[in-house]
Amino acid sequence: MTEAVRLDSITKRFPGVVANDDVTLSVERGTVHALLGENGAGKTTLMNVLYGLYEPTEGDVYVDGDGLTYEEGSEGDDGLAAIADAPRRFDSPGDAIDAGVGMIHQHFMLVDPMTVAENITLGNEPRKWGGLAVDREAAREAVLELSERYGFDVEPDARIEDVGVGVQQRVEILKALYRGAEVLILDEPTAVLTPQEVDDLFEVLEELTEAGKTVIFITHKLGEALEAADEVTVLRDGRNVGSVETADTTREELAELMVGREVMLETETPPATPGGPSLTVEGVTASDERDVVAVDDVSFTVREGEVFGVAGVDGNGQSELVEIVTGLHALGEGRVELDGRDVTDASRRERTRAGMAYIPEDRQDRGLVMDFDLTENGVLGSQHDAPFAERGRLDWDRAEGHADAIIDEYDVRPPDTRAEAKSLSGGNQQKFIVGREFARDPSCIVASHPTRGVDIGSTEFIHDRLVDLRDEGRAVLLVSSKLDEVRGLSDRLAVMYRGQIVDVVDPDEVTEEQLGLMMAGERPDDVPRAERVAAGESEDSTDTGARPGADADAEVADD
Amino acid sequence: MTDSEEADSDEPGGSRDRLFDALDRLVAASATERLLISGSALLLSVAIGFLLILAAGRMTSCGSAAYSLFGVGFCYDPFVVYDSLFLGAFGDFLANPLNGQFATTVSETTVLVFTGIAVAVAFKAGVFNIGGQGQLVFGALASALVVYGLSGAVSGLVGTLVLVPLGLAVGAFVGGIWGAIPGALKAYADANEVITTIMLNFVATSFALYLASGPFKAPDSFANQTRTLPEYALFPQPLFPGRTDASLLALALAIVVAVGIAYLLRGTSFGYDVRTSGIQPEAAEYGGVDAARTVVTSMALSGALAGIGGAVYVLTIAGNFQTGVPDYGFDGITVSILAGNNPVGAIAAALLFGVLKSGSIVVDVGTDVPPQLVGVLRGLIVLFVAMPEFFRMIGQRVDVRDRFGGSRDAVATDGGEEA
Repeated sequence: MTEAVRLDSITKRFPGVVANDDVTLSVERGTVHALLGENGAGKTTLMNVLYGLYEPTEGDVYVDGDGLTYEEGSEGDDGLAAIADAPRRFDSPGDAIDAGVGMIHQHFMLVDPMTVAENITLGNEPRKWGGLAVDREAAREAVLELSERYGFDVEPDARIEDVGVGVQQRVEILKALYRGAEVLILDEPTAVLTPQEVDDLFEVLEELTEAGKTVIFITHKLGEALEAADEVTVLRDGRNVGSVETADTTREELAELMVGREVMLETETPPATPGGPSLTVEGVTASDERDVVAVDDVSFTVREGEVFGVAGVDGNGQSELVEIVTGLHALGEGRVELDGRDVTDASRRERTRAGMAYIPEDRQDRGLVMDFDLTENGVLGSQHDAPFAERGRLDWDRAEGHADAIIDEYDVRPPDTRAEAKSLSGGNQQKFIVGREFARDPSCIVASHPTRGVDIGSTEFIHDRLVDLRDEGRAVLLVSSKLDEVRGLSDRLAVMYRGQIVDVVDPDEVTEEQLGLMMAGERPDDVPRAERVAAGESEDSTDTGARPGADADAEVADD
Repeated sequence: MTDSEEADSDEPGGSRDRLFDALDRLVAASATERLLISGSALLLSVAIGFLLILAAGRMTSCGSAAYSLFGVGFCYDPFVVYDSLFLGAFGDFLANPLNGQFATTVSETTVLVFTGIAVAVAFKAGVFNIGGQGQLVFGALASALVVYGLSGAVSGLVGTLVLVPLGLAVGAFVGGIWGAIPGALKAYADANEVITTIMLNFVATSFALYLASGPFKAPDSFANQTRTLPEYALFPQPLFPGRTDASLLALALAIVVAVGIAYLLRGTSFGYDVRTSGIQPEAAEYGGVDAARTVVTSMALSGALAGIGGAVYVLTIAGNFQTGVPDYGFDGITVSILAGNNPVGAIAAALLFGVLKSGSIVVDVGTDVPPQLVGVLRGLIVLFVAMPEFFRMIGQRVDVRDRFGGSRDAVATDGGEEA
């Protein structure tokens, strides 16, 4: 075998953290290699070392897009041949690009008002008139030629702001190829794509490897690693815990490697016994910070004792919807009702007092004050309320006891009420937030991506607690882009696309394909719709299209 | 710390990484480490000042050398200069602790404690109040006018008991209003407080000049000042005999207020709101804090503290309102930075400032060293001691998640979760 990339015993330390611990990664030329691991396992750090963003504390980087050369007849203890090439020293991404390494970040770095061709050639534009002007025609030609060679379907004259996310990603890939990349690193490339776009991406990757390029992609999704890669390397806690050929492995084996123990991949939840309406959202419309309509006439009701799920590709209005419900985003029109009380104009604090708990999407910006210790973070949201505050004064002893109880019940590590939030790993931060919000004894829980970046063990625990709370008769609004999560936990499932609810379906009956289509804005005729729950007068706000059996489920089925 | 030090020494090049590492370590420094850093900075500034004094001493001509080293004569003796600068502020402390020089130190320190905590409170709420000077000037002026206006009605001990608290209250009220204005402009009109507070400084100073040179000018005076307050309307100074410009009582008040503010920030719901919105506004919003209201109240509180500083200045040092109020408000910014925005730390920082101010008078009087050079020496000390804290504040403000060379959060999230 001929490798294109060899990372030899890479260690990367940050103050107080070892992000990569003696990681060796060998990537064969002309293959797709998945770097799989939970969030915080050190995948991105390792790739940033390869891309010249970080210098490794220890270890060597070898790259050659045409294949490394080896010392003859030599084979080390680890079965890897000794390399004759000199190790690379990348002081910056520029050096890495010169060596033929390109990286496509999760957040695209494109200039929206410029065309596809301009973006691709930006910084390396073909010149004319002795270098005085950009040769747009040559740029266009070069892009067309590249795009055809790899079977990309992009229109060089389209503006970035007018094309979809999938196309933008292809533009990023073309940009790297234009700069001569032989080795392409993709950081969580599927996070923003619909299932169909993911399939397209995987085809593109295949084209690339057939043309002799080498692809490394970072993911925490087992299924994708298995589907798209030839070989998978699993990182756990900064260490390489195993590299396997996808042909000889299974989901279960990979999952076990990722978390270090066998896990249940599916949770069976008993059916819900919903009561009366708890949270009602009616005709809500709102814009995002750019004044673009983000939530467009959305209505639904969450009943006591049920989990109402909202699925969709990130960025289709779910975040705004959640923040409207919790009182953090201004709404243009519509109303929000909690347990029979109109809370449309209620402040965040009033809503918390009225029994609404909120697990926010962004725990590091919103959910925790990173520089506060856990005692202080434990009272966030209750700092004016009994039992922590009395006549304006805070009872820190009680707050510490409270934090201690959360740490105990939710197994937060380190178990230290004095630890600052920023010193905890992402999963432990999330467990602490979940514990704090559940401890409010809420009547309604709004959970936005409650297990994002959380390890599988904690995920299971959080899921179980959500179901427990549901069974105690509390209402749960669950927003997540993880399909397994929303499907497994929800009793009714809404799919959002471009700020609207496409439909509300029965998660046990709907297929993944149907969900995929709905997440792309289509409405298959035969989707199994969920029982309709309307609040008061407004019955026809959720669905606008034809509904088979609409008569039968038009009435609220409270029993 | 070992990890980072190793990582550092193992990494040649990567200067950006090292810069961020250094910032991170500064941010993570413990209280003891910070004291040590400040101490070494002080020593370093003295060492550099020492060389400056020698160099300046070579460049002037004088009758006889004040100091000689290896047979080379220097006009100024650095030991005498630093001795006067630091210890001069205490006068002949052992013989008579209540000497006049120490009185000057006390009075300067007292006002600076108030302006220092004024800046610190606003900063804790994430607002940079540069308007301390204007708030202090208005507080001082209002206090002088109201106390003078009522000083005819009461007198004696009763006069003191009524007029001094009243003067402080008026200073607090007017300073508070003057601070609340830029607070409200920031909260409700998104006007940058740095700009508005600086502009309002000019407004306050010029308007005070107009009032003190026009409608409220003392009729028998050539200077632009208001009428002198009777002695019973001033802060009682029971301990410094024969001095009207310093009061240990006022200093005690300053210390009590500083400790009170520290408690307010740490031990109350209001303080929790203030700190949360200062440190992480997004999380504050999530925690139900009304960001706009917190900005206005903390700016009002900040202005009120500066206003009390102004009232104390009138009721101890000045005895009336005079234009050309010293830059206590601006010095308060440095005091606050020096103290790492800790209200109790501001007491020590203000004392350092008070000592330097009072000590430079002793240097001026006792040696031939020109006042400009003394200013340079003072500036060096403040600059060196404040810089580590200043960079620490910057380090805390830099959003580590937004930078590529960043460390802890980049590791914690692995970049894989935000879409």
